Amino acid sequence: MSGQGDLLHVVTADNITPARLRLSKAVVWGAAAILALVALLQALNANGQIDLGFTNWRPTLYAFILWSVALCWAQVLGKGEYGKRSLFVLPAALFVVSMVVFPLIFGLGIAFSDWNLASPTGRKFNGLDNIRQMWGDPFFWNALKNMVWYVLAILPEYAIAFGLALLLNAQIRARKFFRVAFLMPLMLSPVAVSWMIGKSMLEVRFGPISRLAREVGIDNPAFFSSPEIARFMIMAMDAWTYIPFMMIMILAGLQAIPKELTEAAKVDGAGSWRGFWEVTFPLMLPVSITAILIRIIFKLKLADIIINVTSGGPGGATDSVTSFIFREYRDRSNVGYGTLLAMVYLVIIVIAMTILMKLADRWMRPKF
Amino acid sequence: MKVGLYNAVTGAMMNRRRMLQGAASVGALGAMGGLTANSAQAGGHSNVRAEILKIPGVGMGSPTDADWQKVGEMCLGPTMENVAEGEFEGVELTFMGLNNQNLHNFLFRGFLKPWEAYTGAKINWIDLAQADYNARLQQSIATGTVDFDIIEMGAPFEGDTAGRGLLDEMPDWVKTQIDADDLVGYLQEPVGTWDGKSYRVTIDGDCHTFAYRTDYFGEGAIGGAEVPSTWQEVNAVSKALIGQEDPLTGLPAHGYLDPLKGWGGFGMYFISNRAAAYVKHPDSPAWLFEPDTMKPMVNNPGWVQAIQDVMDLIEAGAYPADQINADPGTTAFSQFLAGTGSMLMWWGDVGSSARTSDGSVVGDVVGFGINPASERVYNSVTASWEETRNEAPQMAYIGWGIYVTARVSGDEQKRKAAWSAAAHLGGKDLSLWTSAYPSGFQPYRNSHFQYDEWEEAGYDRAFVEDYLGSNADSYNHPNAAIEPRIPGIFQYYSVAEDELAKGFAGQYASAQETADAIAAAWEAITDQIGRDSQIALYKASLGM
Repeated sequence: MSGQGDLLHVVTADNITPARLRLSKAVVWGAAAILALVALLQALNANGQIDLGFTNWRPTLYAFILWSVALCWAQVLGKGEYGKRSLFVLPAALFVVSMVVFPLIFGLGIAFSDWNLASPTGRKFNGLDNIRQMWGDPFFWNALKNMVWYVLAILPEYAIAFGLALLLNAQIRARKFFRVAFLMPLMLSPVAVSWMIGKSMLEVRFGPISRLAREVGIDNPAFFSSPEIARFMIMAMDAWTYIPFMMIMILAGLQAIPKELTEAAKVDGAGSWRGFWEVTFPLMLPVSITAILIRIIFKLKLADIIINVTSGGPGGATDSVTSFIFREYRDRSNVGYGTLLAMVYLVIIVIAMTILMKLADRWMRPKF
Repeated sequence: MKVGLYNAVTGAMMNRRRMLQGAASVGALGAMGGLTANSAQAGGHSNVRAEILKIPGVGMGSPTDADWQKVGEMCLGPTMENVAEGEFEGVELTFMGLNNQNLHNFLFRGFLKPWEAYTGAKINWIDLAQADYNARLQQSIATGTVDFDIIEMGAPFEGDTAGRGLLDEMPDWVKTQIDADDLVGYLQEPVGTWDGKSYRVTIDGDCHTFAYRTDYFGEGAIGGAEVPSTWQEVNAVSKALIGQEDPLTGLPAHGYLDPLKGWGGFGMYFISNRAAAYVKHPDSPAWLFEPDTMKPMVNNPGWVQAIQDVMDLIEAGAYPADQINADPGTTAFSQFLAGTGSMLMWWGDVGSSARTSDGSVVGDVVGFGINPASERVYNSVTASWEETRNEAPQMAYIGWGIYVTARVSGDEQKRKAAWSAAAHLGGKDLSLWTSAYPSGFQPYRNSHFQYDEWEEAGYDRAFVEDYLGSNADSYNHPNAAIEPRIPGIFQYYSVAEDELAKGFAGQYASAQETADAIAAAWEAITDQIGRDSQIALYKASLGM
């Protein structure tokens, strides 16, 4: 056993011989060479330059798995106990690379292509043409503008969720019943919400809400005919589904506040309003920011209710970026352009969420 | 199979397979005694037609799976003539089709269950919603992953499939089994074939017909004495009905029901009904694109007038509330059949559903006609309006068919099995039932227009003559508007829906601006798919 090195963290300091080190490198590079060779042969086969009888890309997948195993083995061979430690993470990292990074690279390839499924010529690289098309596409910018409205709607949703959480945290009758009842919308699929509410309860002629509206003197109740009302109804259905999610997070936060703090505030003479603003709300800030950030992520994916209820109408007033991409991709088989829009949206989301998280971090940093 | 035999055997509680074995034995016994199985079939043929029309009976509610199986079983005769019992034992086929309104594949499953029991083949099903159909099909084609042997497909997709050699050519015995000569004229060549070859077992003959409420029209009725016969009259009546009360429901009365929301591309057919009367000139089969250049005609004055007509009704407040959010399915099934609105253009299944669907309240007050005419027609060649009345019924979607893919071409047993299943679904007798009951399909054979059969089934003679007559008049019209079977046709429709939705929501300054936006989007699609190949296929599909 070696008397040198990181004796604090290493249990067994391996004596790695130069030959073992060489073997480790040979294993990794040998497997990598096999992977590169198989991938190259398959690519040539796919392009029709040689005919090796490959019918699918499974050989390359097997070569990648071989390389992954070799890489893991080489860690132990070349680094001993350090290598064994890396085995706790490496397989997961390789899995993520194969399931996320590779498809992303392929996706980028498609995003910069002119690929209409109906075209007999197939996929053609078209440089930045899709970006230019996006730049001049009023449907995309309209959908992006709608997304700003949809995201802003999270603020009132948050206020309502906070109010409900406070109610459920108070000593009210049938508290357990209400906790379950308020959670129920979250258990519903947005598709079910679209049909139950958007297409049934809000149906103009037979829907119970329409009937009620007529009973109270509204002659022609219409919930999706004007852009503003239609957008509001989509926001309301989405909010109804997801307010319980924010509510339950905030409720958990409220229950974690030590009673001593609120009681101390009362003893010091703070009323309920002041106690809320000076004690409860600041303490809830980390939970609130987390709930809002997760809710924004949910909101940016909003599509199912829109697709089912309005198809983006009237005149694009309710269109979301996702529902527009869905239409472009599904109805028009415009795979290249649809993929580019999805990539751009991903970049926008990553940038926006990074900025938001930085800001949230700054807000939550202790000031005293 | 003789109906008497069927009844006797089912009465004895035999299972289906034994019953069919019994049928075969009876056929064999008949042969020994000088009575061939064929003659037994022929003798029972007319009875089969009459008996299947009693299942479940007009006015007895919507048919169920048990009814579909019963009909499929009773129509097995032609299959038994070409296929021996158990001949396809061990064969597995994959069938891709739709699940619209619990019809299409739901019916096919029932119809084919006795076929599976008799032949021994097994069918695996891929069910798709209408709106998902186009994407699924295109993706399969583009990625080389056609994973189905039989497909229910609309004729407009033939450019995408037959044009790329993905379909198997129909064997001659199938043409004989389905009696292909019985198809109505417009479904024969060239619309019924691709490049001179037959691929489609037709199971539907699409055209849009005009459905109207008879209680709105007539002496003293709220809609006026005469049923509107031109789009100009349709608009005038729709405006005049504002503020009046529906005679059936007591709710506000409405005129024509334009769907103002898209429907995965299918919504385009509805503005096309109006436009066809304005732009489908008798001198030319082209009305969507100029055949030599693929330049869109959608922004010519005729099309613009059609869009303007809709905008006028929106402006006047003639539609039911929330019409901007009504797709074609809503206008037919939630509005017209449920008693809202008085005029509608739709496929013919609205006619059969009016009397047989549980959701319909208008069965006794519905009448039919062909697509309204226009008092003037735009001639795109001379670029001028002609002040002559023009009728142009639209053969919207041309019709569903059953196709067999080239996947089975190398396996003769599988190929025969696939074609046998397709032929069973497109059989002469079975198709009479699908024409008469809710199925998603409408009459498409000359034999479907024998009004006596319908009357005997329990249909009101006047109703059926009216309903079937509107179909027959449309099919046989010399100026029928037939859409191009070119690749990506639903991309053109889908993008048009988006632009129309903007126009109808008032986001474009005028109908012309809306139409120009559609034309620009169509030009981009043509360039993307390939203009030269589109021109060639467009001309081929029009028989030019």
